[in-house]
Amino acid sequence: MKLVAALVALLAVAAQAAAQNSTTPPPDILVSRHLAEAQGLDVGAVVRLATDAEGTRAREFRVAGIYEPTPDPAQLGVAPMGVRLHLPDLLELTRPVGVPAGAEYVASINVALEDPDEARAFARDVNARVPGVLARQAGEAAGSAGPFRVLERFHLAIAVVTIVAATVFLLALTIMLVDERRETVGVLRLIGLPARRVLVQILIEGLLVAAAGAAFGLVLALASEVLINTFFQWRYDTALVFVAITPDVAATCVAIAVPLGASATVVASWALLRRGGLRLARR
Amino acid sequence: MNALGFAWRSLVRQPARATLGVLGVAAVGALLLDMLMLSQGLIVSMQDLLDRGGWDVRVSAGELPRASGRMQNAGAAADEIARLPAVRSVLLVRFADARLERDGRRPLPVSFEGVAFYGDAGGTQPVNWLVLRGRDATGPGEVVVNEAIAETLGIEAGSQITLRASCVAEREALPPTRLRVTGVAEFPFEATSENTVGGSIEALARACGGNAGDDADLILVGAQDDPDVTVAAIGAILPGVYAATNADVVGRLQETGFTYFRQISTVLTTVTVSFAALLIAVLLTVSVNQRLGEVAALRALGFTRARVVKDVLSESALIVGAGGLLSLPLGLLLASGLDRILKDMPGIPASLHFFVFETQALVLHVALLAATALLAAAYPMRVVSRLPIAATLRNEVIG
Amino acid sequence: MTATPIIDARAVSRVFRMPAGPVTAVGAVSLQIQPGDHVAVRGPSGCGKSTLLHMLGCVETPTSGTLRFDGRDVSGLSDTARSLLRLRHVGFVFQRFFLLPMLTAGENVELPMSEAGLPKDQRTRRTRELLDYVGLAARADHRPSELSGGEMQRVAIARALANGPKLLLADEPTGELDEATGAQIAALLDRVNAAGTALVIVTHDPALADRARRVLTMRDGRVESERLR
Repeated sequence: MKLVAALVALLAVAAQAAAQNSTTPPPDILVSRHLAEAQGLDVGAVVRLATDAEGTRAREFRVAGIYEPTPDPAQLGVAPMGVRLHLPDLLELTRPVGVPAGAEYVASINVALEDPDEARAFARDVNARVPGVLARQAGEAAGSAGPFRVLERFHLAIAVVTIVAATVFLLALTIMLVDERRETVGVLRLIGLPARRVLVQILIEGLLVAAAGAAFGLVLALASEVLINTFFQWRYDTALVFVAITPDVAATCVAIAVPLGASATVVASWALLRRGGLRLARR
Repeated sequence: MNALGFAWRSLVRQPARATLGVLGVAAVGALLLDMLMLSQGLIVSMQDLLDRGGWDVRVSAGELPRASGRMQNAGAAADEIARLPAVRSVLLVRFADARLERDGRRPLPVSFEGVAFYGDAGGTQPVNWLVLRGRDATGPGEVVVNEAIAETLGIEAGSQITLRASCVAEREALPPTRLRVTGVAEFPFEATSENTVGGSIEALARACGGNAGDDADLILVGAQDDPDVTVAAIGAILPGVYAATNADVVGRLQETGFTYFRQISTVLTTVTVSFAALLIAVLLTVSVNQRLGEVAALRALGFTRARVVKDVLSESALIVGAGGLLSLPLGLLLASGLDRILKDMPGIPASLHFFVFETQALVLHVALLAATALLAAAYPMRVVSRLPIAATLRNEVIG
Repeated sequence: MTATPIIDARAVSRVFRMPAGPVTAVGAVSLQIQPGDHVAVRGPSGCGKSTLLHMLGCVETPTSGTLRFDGRDVSGLSDTARSLLRLRHVGFVFQRFFLLPMLTAGENVELPMSEAGLPKDQRTRRTRELLDYVGLAARADHRPSELSGGEMQRVAIARALANGPKLLLADEPTGELDEATGAQIAALLDRVNAAGTALVIVTHDPALADRARRVLTMRDGRVESERLR
C-alpha cells in the first residue's frame, strides 16, 4: 500500500467519458475518494498509471470503484491520494526493467484469522516455519504507535494539571459553601450533636453533589465528543475518531471526581468543626 | 478607600478562599500560557533551527517534509545549482545506515551523513553540523561523531572507529572500514536517541565500499539574496526536483505534521479560559451573595451602582492578576516538563522545542486573563448593580 | 420666614407588584420634616414604616405622589443622583449595624467621606472627632468583631454622620440591643438631634419613641395619628 501511495504521486491521468474500444479491456482499479474528487474521476473512467513523471511504461486502467481510505492518524492533514490495484497488475507495473517476473517482492502481507485470539500463536508459528519473514500481531506491528504513546503521556500530563486546578477551585468553593452553613452547624453542635455525626451528614451530601456533578460532567464530555469529532472530521476530511469516551475513561473520571468532590467537602467542614459551637453560631 | 483597596480588604478577610482562588487561577493560567507557547512554538523553533544552519533553500526529490526517494545525478545537479547567479553556496547531503563496531558487543547502529560542498567557500567549507571539540573532518578517512557516540564508546578526537555502511536499498555484506575521528560535533537535526557520524562524501563512499552512487537525499543552498528568487532559478534549470525556502518548509509543516499541536493548543486554550472564567464567576458570585446585606447598606449610605460594580470587578482583577503573575513561573516550569515528554517522539530533532516563550504569547496570555476577569465578574456585577436596596435590607433583618 | 423643609412628601405611595397581586405598603402619606425635627414612626409589623423611611431616604422611589428633598423634586432623579444625594445629605443607621467586617471602626467611619472625595487629612481629622463624639476614640483600630453590639451601633452612627448630613434616618437602631445599651444609643441620638441634624427613627421601642418631639403612628400603610410632645 505504501508503494501504491508512491504511484499516486506519479499518476498521469487521462480521464475518458467512455471505456476504450480495445480487444483487451483495461484492468480494474479502485481510487480513493480524495483522488476521485481532486481529479474529477467517476466509476468507469479510464486512467493511465506510470511509476515516474515521464510516464514510462504507462498502462491504462479502468476505475471500477471509489473507496474510503482507512484513516491514518500519522497522515493527518495529508489527503490520501491512493489507488488499489490487483497484485499482479501492481507487480507488473512496478517491476524494474530487466528483472524477470517472479523476482518481485512485497513489503508486507496482512492476515485475517478465523479466530483473532490465536494471532500471537499464529505469528510464532510462522516465524518458526518460514525463515526470512517477521510475523507480528497487528497491534505490535504498528510502528507508528510510538508518537501516539508520547501523545498519551502528554495528554495525561495535561489532565493532571487540570485536575490539580479543579481541586484547588473545588476546595475554595466548598470552603465558601460550608461557611454559609456555619450558624446551622454551630447550633447543631451547641444542642449536642457530636462533630463526627455532623461530618457524616456533610460527607453524604458531598457524595451526592459530587456524583451529580460527575454525571453532569460525563454528559458534557459526551456532547463535546460529538462536537469535537464532527468538527475535526470536517476540518481534515477524515473518518478518524479524535475523542472517544470509552467505558474505561468514564469510569476513571467518575472514580477521580466523586472522591475528590466528597473529600473537598469533608476537608472544608473539618476545618470549620475545629472551632467551638458557640463561635460558629455567633453572628 | 478606592475600589482596589476595598477589594484587597475583602479578599484578605477570607484568606483561605482568596489563596485557593489565586492558586487555581495560577494552575489554569500556567496551562493557558503553555498552550499559547505551543501554538507557535514548533513553528518558531523549526524556523530558528532551519535558519541557524545558514542555508536558505532545500532541494529534494519529493516535497518536504515527507520527501521520499533520492535525487539521481545529484553531483551534476549540485554543480549546476552552484553556478546560478542567485546562489551563494551549495552543500550536497547524503545519508546512509551504518553500524559501528564495538569490541565484543553488538554493533551500534548509526546514521552516516556525508556532505560535499560546491562553490567557493573562501576558506572554511560549511557543513551541516557544529564542531564542539577537535576539528572538522576534511579527508576521506576522517569523520566527526556526535556526543552520544563519543560517550558510549568513550572516544574523542584522534580515536579510530570501524564502520560498516550501506548506501543502497538492499542489504550488503561490506568489509569494515576504519576511519579516524577528528572531532565531536552537534548535528542540529538528529533525533534525541540518534547516533550520527559526519564526514565528506568521499568518506561515505569509502565506508560504502566505493558504492555510494551519485544520488543525494538533500541539497542545501545558500541564497545570494532573496531565497524565493533562488528557488525560481533552481526550478527553471531542474524541473524534476522540489526546491523550497525555509519558510516554505515551515509552511508545509504547519499544514501537516504540526497541525495537531495547533489544534490541541486552540482547544485547550478555549477550555482553560472557559474553565477559569466559570470557576472565578462562581467564587465571586458566592462571595457576593454572602455579602448582599453589606452591599445594600453601602448603597443606602450613598455608594453608587458604578462604585459597587467596580468593587466586584476589582476583586476579580486582583484574583486573576495575582494568579496570572504566579502562573508565569509555573507555566515555564510546566512547559519544560511537557517539552521533555513530547521530545520523546521518534524522529524529532533534539534541538527542536515544542514550547517556545515569545512576547506574543505573553501578550495574548495577559489579554486572555484580563478578558477572563471581566467575563467572570459579569454576573456578580449584574447582581450587585441590580440589587434592590430596601428589599435586601429587609431580608437581612428577617433572615 | 419658614425654612425649606428637608423632606416634603405629598401623597406618596409605594405599591409592590407581587405574583398574587399588588400590595400597597404605603398609601398616600403626606408629611414634612423640618430642619432639626425629631420624629419617631411607630406601628405594628408590616404597617409600612420601614418602607416610608426608605422613601424619605431616597432608597425607594414612590409609586405615586411627590417627594421633595430640600425643595428639590427627587422623583425624576437617576439612581446615581439619588446615591449622591444620600451620600452627602442623608445618614442611615440600621438595626443590624451593617459595619464592614474587614475594616476597622475608624475605616468604617471614614468610608463615606472617602467616597465623597474628602482629602485624606480632613478625613482623618473628622474620623477622630466623630469617634470621640460617640465615645469610641480608643477603639478606632478595632474591627467590628471585637466590639460589643452597642459599640458597633455607635460606630454606625458615627459613620452615618461622616458627611454632615441634614437628615439621619434610623431603622430600629436599638432592635438588637439590651435595654441599658439601647438607652445609651437613644441618648446619643438625642445629642445628634440637639446639634441640628433632623432625625427620623422607626422603632417598636416606646421609650425611644417617647424621646421624639413628633410621634407618627402608622397602620396599614397610612399615618393613623400624629402626636406632638
